[in-house]
Amino acid sequence: MTATLVDMGPHGRHADKDADFSAYMAARQPALYRTAYLLAGDHASAEDLLQNAFAKLYLSWDKIRDHGALDGYVRRVMVNENNSLWRRAWKRREHSTDTMPETGAVDTYDDGMGGALWSYVQTLPPKQRSVIVLRYYEQLSEAEIADVLGISVGTVKSQASRALAGLRARAPRSLNPHESGDAS
Amino acid sequence: MNTPLEDQVHDALHRRADPIQHAPLSVTDVRHRARRIQRRRAAVAGVAVAAVLAIAIPVGLSATGPGQRSDVPPATRTSSPSPVPTVTSGTVTVDPDSADVVEQAPVPLLDVDGPTLVTADGTFDLPHDFSTITPYLDGWAGVGVYDEADKSGDYIELLGPDLRVDDEGSPTGGLVVRPDGGRIAWSEYDGTRWRVVVADPAGGSEPVSTTFQPSSLDEKVIPLGFVSDDTVAVRAMYDSGDPKTFVAGGDQPVEVPGLLQADAASAGVIAGSTEIGPDGTCFGVVDAVAGGDPGWTTCDHRLGPFSATGTYVVGTSTEAEYGSPDITVLDAATGEEVLTFEAALPKRTVGGFWTQMTWVGDEAIVARISIGNEDPQMMLLGLDGSVQRIGVAASGVSGLTVAVPS
Repeated sequence: MTATLVDMGPHGRHADKDADFSAYMAARQPALYRTAYLLAGDHASAEDLLQNAFAKLYLSWDKIRDHGALDGYVRRVMVNENNSLWRRAWKRREHSTDTMPETGAVDTYDDGMGGALWSYVQTLPPKQRSVIVLRYYEQLSEAEIADVLGISVGTVKSQASRALAGLRARAPRSLNPHESGDAS
Repeated sequence: MNTPLEDQVHDALHRRADPIQHAPLSVTDVRHRARRIQRRRAAVAGVAVAAVLAIAIPVGLSATGPGQRSDVPPATRTSSPSPVPTVTSGTVTVDPDSADVVEQAPVPLLDVDGPTLVTADGTFDLPHDFSTITPYLDGWAGVGVYDEADKSGDYIELLGPDLRVDDEGSPTGGLVVRPDGGRIAWSEYDGTRWRVVVADPAGGSEPVSTTFQPSSLDEKVIPLGFVSDDTVAVRAMYDSGDPKTFVAGGDQPVEVPGLLQADAASAGVIAGSTEIGPDGTCFGVVDAVAGGDPGWTTCDHRLGPFSATGTYVVGTSTEAEYGSPDITVLDAATGEEVLTFEAALPKRTVGGFWTQMTWVGDEAIVARISIGNEDPQMMLLGLDGSVQRIGVAASGVSGLTVAVPS
């Protein structure tokens, strides 16, 4: 009887890695792209953020034992990159004439409030915006956001509070706490 | 339970993003990007070769300034291109009152109380006080100094061509400029960790960011100077008392052993303290890659900054309390003293040179001197022994300082 355990060698492991990574990308790219888009605010920057995060994931693939944590890894890389001052400056310059269609802009069910709020979210400082996207789009808990951002839960709370106060201050009168029941 | 505003934010984000069914990237795209990242990592490991080859950084090249859209001229670092500078020896007394006056500074200055940026092309208002400011992309990069209720310490800020702040900024450990102006580097803190960014001010290539291990804001990473074309030496203040020296310019910082605390850097070398003994602190210069034992040491001078090509390094007093009473120019390769500029301090008068100064190529130093209660003055000190006072008037008692320290 011959042994059934086959050593695939480095080449075989490489092929496995690529197949696994490819399957993960195919399954998760659309959802992670949406997060990248909300973080970055335009398609070119979102694509760049996601490509960078996937590339770092690819390089670390063999070291990440918990494949349930892959989305968290990608989110963490995207958020940290997006919060970096140099990347914002570089992208601002690189994409100053970006004319890619913003496919998410058309919302036939929007009464105007959604579009207005989105434009206010885009004006938030990057760290506050990250908290807002992770909290209200990804619906992560404060503890999960703290883990992604590498900050304390208290800082997550204060960033979220500041972001909401900023949105409230800039948003139309209908979002005024006295009119929307948001005074608490 | 969410408030109505939170519900509206939730709905707005979903309405915006949910229709997007976009998967623009292929595995090939990602592999290409991964290879680029790997190449950068490898580049840092190869700094040894680069640092040796880059010993001679050309001087006399004009720095790349901000874009042509700006009415504000670039704060170019003018380096005199004289091929064989005359160098004298001995001790030269620096007395602002008797020195010849030169009307223009060869380097940009900051008028602290303005606050304004003073260049050969004019004086320009700044939105607040800066310790360093230099051209970047179509505008400027600067280190803002804040002392406000909600913001204190140093912040790296990017300004537009009109010198208005474009971005909210991040805490920083400083900003350094390669002597030919072809690269700048700064550190920034993102709330979790420090990173060092090496960028081409002309925007010809994408900035390279080196991320450090997670640490607190207080564990600052301080850029010291370029050790090769694209890599910069930094001091990381881990545990706020155990500084380490790294070279940054790729994805991973590379630690350089040998110094207790790095203070300055130039092509291929880093200067700093090597020993703290009962009689004082000693300083030396180590290889920027291998580190290890310094080629030479001195217990008479604190070292830095280096001249543009790294030929000379400044030595100041190791125990300066009100400024260094003298500036000694040392041969960076041997530690041999070349020339000393001594402040003309009357007896029982405190004062001296600020240690924040700028080299003009390898030929001169622009430094600030304070003598007693007199207003501080900016001096141009030539290695040929010339001493000139820069006759630019300051708007207040805080005086002038160099806009881009070496």
